Amino acid sequence: MDGNGRWAQLRSLPRTAGHRAAEATVIDVIEAARASGVEWLSLYAFSTENWNRPGSEVAYLMRLVRRVVRKHAPLLLARGIRCRFLGVADPRIPRELAQDFDDLATLTADNRGMTLTLAFDHGGRRDIVEAARSLIRSKTPADEVTERLFADHLPFPDTPDVDLVIRTSGEQRISNFMLWQVAYAEWVFPEALWPDFRAPDFLACLHTYRRRDRRFGGVPPQTNGALS
Amino acid sequence: MTTGTTGTADATPLFGPESQFRAFFDDPRWALAMIRATVLEAAHPQIGAALADNSTFVTHPWRRLRNTFLSMRRMFDADPAVREREACRLNRLHARMSGSDSRGRAYDAMDRAARAWVVATLFESAVTMCRLSGQPLGQDTMERMYAEYRAFLAALEGDAGALPEDINDFWRYFDRVVGDELENTEAARVILYRLFDHLPAPALLDGMPTLWAAGRALIGPLLGAITVASLPEPYRRKAGLPEMPGAATLMQGAYLTAGFTRFLPEGWINAETIIETLSLSPDSDDPRARTMTALRARMKRGAALIRLLTPLSGDSDPDSVPATPPSTGEGRRSAEEFFRQVLDQTGDGHLDWPDLAAMARELATRLDLDEPEETRLYDAFAAWWRELQAALDTDGDGRVSADEYATAVPSLAGPALIRVAEVLFDATDKDGSGTIDADEYRTLFRTAFHRDLATTNDTFGRSAFVGDFLSFMSGRRTNTPYDPLLADA
Repeated sequence: MDGNGRWAQLRSLPRTAGHRAAEATVIDVIEAARASGVEWLSLYAFSTENWNRPGSEVAYLMRLVRRVVRKHAPLLLARGIRCRFLGVADPRIPRELAQDFDDLATLTADNRGMTLTLAFDHGGRRDIVEAARSLIRSKTPADEVTERLFADHLPFPDTPDVDLVIRTSGEQRISNFMLWQVAYAEWVFPEALWPDFRAPDFLACLHTYRRRDRRFGGVPPQTNGALS
Repeated sequence: MTTGTTGTADATPLFGPESQFRAFFDDPRWALAMIRATVLEAAHPQIGAALADNSTFVTHPWRRLRNTFLSMRRMFDADPAVREREACRLNRLHARMSGSDSRGRAYDAMDRAARAWVVATLFESAVTMCRLSGQPLGQDTMERMYAEYRAFLAALEGDAGALPEDINDFWRYFDRVVGDELENTEAARVILYRLFDHLPAPALLDGMPTLWAAGRALIGPLLGAITVASLPEPYRRKAGLPEMPGAATLMQGAYLTAGFTRFLPEGWINAETIIETLSLSPDSDDPRARTMTALRARMKRGAALIRLLTPLSGDSDPDSVPATPPSTGEGRRSAEEFFRQVLDQTGDGHLDWPDLAAMARELATRLDLDEPEETRLYDAFAAWWRELQAALDTDGDGRVSADEYATAVPSLAGPALIRVAEVLFDATDKDGSGTIDADEYRTLFRTAFHRDLATTNDTFGRSAFVGDFLSFMSGRRTNTPYDPLLADA
């Protein structure tokens, strides 16, 4: 979700207006992903580094996210979307917001349509450190630690490897996002700013991804699915 | 559910499964009658003062309900040894309660007239309950039941002289007390108007505050109105209780409806099962708790939806700047929370000896202590109270306020508290083995060992036990086994 600030600057609006405009894109992308059969969608809403932004902007974001979560909770439930929140560990997160996150996760826990993971106060390195801590706490012998076992100690161990990462507004960095899971991900960097990003842009990204030749470090297989 | 008996009072024993009292045990009307009886008890100035000072029923009503229920059961047990032991326990418990009310009049829970009045209200409420639900008791049954209740009083007091021997004289006695002695006491008002409006959720429903509050908002005033309408007219007039149109009909309808459950197959409604289920705490390892988990999950989801759909008050616009309350860390509670949930057992906003006595009482009840262990436990708590008072009561009013507590938390873990932990350990360690085994642990906490406890070979050593107790009492750590014991409603 990059480009909210620039989107607002281009229109001589306060940065907060950009965040507000992002709401429409979020809903649009969720709908487009669900309609095109995506089973796992993750949105990077707030990173552990975002706490460095000005206090007023952070406070605004917290209130905005709370409003958006509450506003769209019935829609997410009705659409069969399972919502969960990755991160959410910092004590600076208002208690009411954390409660709303919990409520939405509880409410949609049995949905089976699409899993929407909202990375909020998320850092990929922190997750890996947490997994290491958890391994040590469980007193696992060093020889037994495998990639598979390690992944089981990450938050939400059922999350599969990420296939495609879309980073809007032309930024080309990883920025500490789900570091473990993006090992073999394809990356797409559309130029559109997040508030301008819409369902057709999302579908275009999916299309780009389908034409990619995913080799996972090996040689191309003889038949590469329906798109070969 | 039969209310008529065959045979004479001589043929069947007064106690045991055949008694009139036991016949009402699983009757839902009995719940309404018990509330009514409690109000009439609380309206007695002596009992009202004792309740207001010592009772935990406002803050921990469910625990109190369970204890009262089990105690009544034992008092009507078929085995005389059980009855006698329970009577001794109640006498010891009541002997520890005395003081003076807000107007300086002395009260004593051992007062003969007051204790006779308690038994009288129970009997009268049972009779009234049958009248109100349209199934009045026959003269024989009523006399037999009166004999049972007098025997109940005799078991407590040694004799039943404080209640008239003949049932005809009883009604004169009852009317006289209602007319002359009952007052509009604080305790009666609390039961009628505060208890139901603020009734905390039982342990079972603790995770669903929204649902509980919604249900309570509906049921609370209803129960209040039903109880008021069922009180004797002279008392309603004296206490200035409202006469609401339709309340009498509502009350009789409630009793009538509850009475219809007699047509249900026997065993469908079992008061003990209901009370035990309500007292289950969610993380207990009782098999019934597991069967409740599925239901709880559904209710939790319902509660989450309600919370999310509830419109935000005021700060719904992200542009406005609301004041964000400071968030408390996980696993620790704030000093105020600890004070309210654990220390202030009577819910009067102050920490006083009755609060600590209530803790000792709950622990002694759980462990089913006899003398002299019970006195040792009380003495340890009394020593702790003196230590607390000396350390915390800065304004010298004899009790500790929440503020005084919050400013002086670190001094809470003094030697007297460690002594309490040690005495509690000895009392829990029934076989004197120096460790607490799984059974002894279950007696105290009603749940099995948790795996995160410092246990060795499935036992719990003295130092670990003392350490745990101290960290709960002074470190204010939550999620310990002590939470359901002392913090649950």
